[in-house]
Amino acid sequence: MARVSVRYYRHKNKLREKTLGLAPMNDDDISFDEDLIAQAMAALDEMAEDYPDWVSGLIEQLADVHRRCVDTPEQRFQHFEQLHAIAHDMRGQGGTFGYQLISDFADGLYEFTRKNTGETDKNVEIIKAHIDAMRVVIKNRISGGGGDVGKELKAGLEVAIAKYSQQD
Amino acid sequence: MSNIDLSRVSILVVEDSQFIRSLIVNSLRVMGVGSIQSLDDGAQAIEFIKLVDRDPMKAGMMGIDMIISDWEMSPVDGMMLLRWIRRHKDSPNRFVPFLMLTGYSEPKRVQEARTMGVNEFMSKPFTVNALADKLFSVINKPRQYVHTGTYFGPDRRRQVIPIEGKDRRVLTYDSPEVEVVNG
Repeated sequence: MARVSVRYYRHKNKLREKTLGLAPMNDDDISFDEDLIAQAMAALDEMAEDYPDWVSGLIEQLADVHRRCVDTPEQRFQHFEQLHAIAHDMRGQGGTFGYQLISDFADGLYEFTRKNTGETDKNVEIIKAHIDAMRVVIKNRISGGGGDVGKELKAGLEVAIAKYSQQD
Repeated sequence: MSNIDLSRVSILVVEDSQFIRSLIVNSLRVMGVGSIQSLDDGAQAIEFIKLVDRDPMKAGMMGIDMIISDWEMSPVDGMMLLRWIRRHKDSPNRFVPFLMLTGYSEPKRVQEARTMGVNEFMSKPFTVNALADKLFSVINKPRQYVHTGTYFGPDRRRQVIPIEGKDRRVLTYDSPEVEVVNG
């Protein structure tokens, strides 16, 4: 007799029973309550109003860690790890609340503070450029891609990165 | 038309960002999910899953119907949590539906999560509609699970579609090496 090498498990769909009962029904007749979805979307919008205040706190945390990079250069490795973690927290969120530029800049900072980044003075300045760009976005409530202002901000950050990258 | 009633459903949310976590929990609550537990990272989730199995009263949750987890967390990330659930001998429910939430959406990442046995994949930015779509799939379109020498998880073929070229699946349901377990 051949040895079984593949098993398929076809379990009863208990989750469907829990949520829809036992009566048979067509897939096309099943949906979420539209009112509940609308309420959930409204709740999300309400939370979005708090986002600028919340993210301002994170930007200040970044600025604080940046200050420590300047004051205690011998501990920059730990500081960079902290910056990396805060940037990770921020990068997935901005877009959800309409602040795509925050996500973009946080993503840039997240990538920049990976473990192989040298903890040099010029890299500390590049970090500051990211933080400054985020501050401008929140201070001026620049939502979405920010249009021309957003493009200018991104270009400005790239110029700053290029400038500090070229310094010896 | 029948509305999905989530009041008897229990969901574990694992997300290290406090803001996103409260956003997911709040959305689930408004959608009517009966029981929600939220935790910071995969290590806490593993301990909680074991506690639910060992002492549901103490855990405050009688069972876990679904897990929604972020990918990038520390020290135990979403992929490590998924691996533990699907493959570890101490995992009490290797079949629990797992929805991975992530900032990554590159095909390579999606493939990596599929290989580990993820049920659904949701890219940030988070939206209520995307969450509802994924919950709908988990509840209403579950897939059979497959166990081979190298994979355990939901069948990665969602539909029966004719395959161009050679099919990598050489065995059929009728092959003696294949067992179908109904339950």
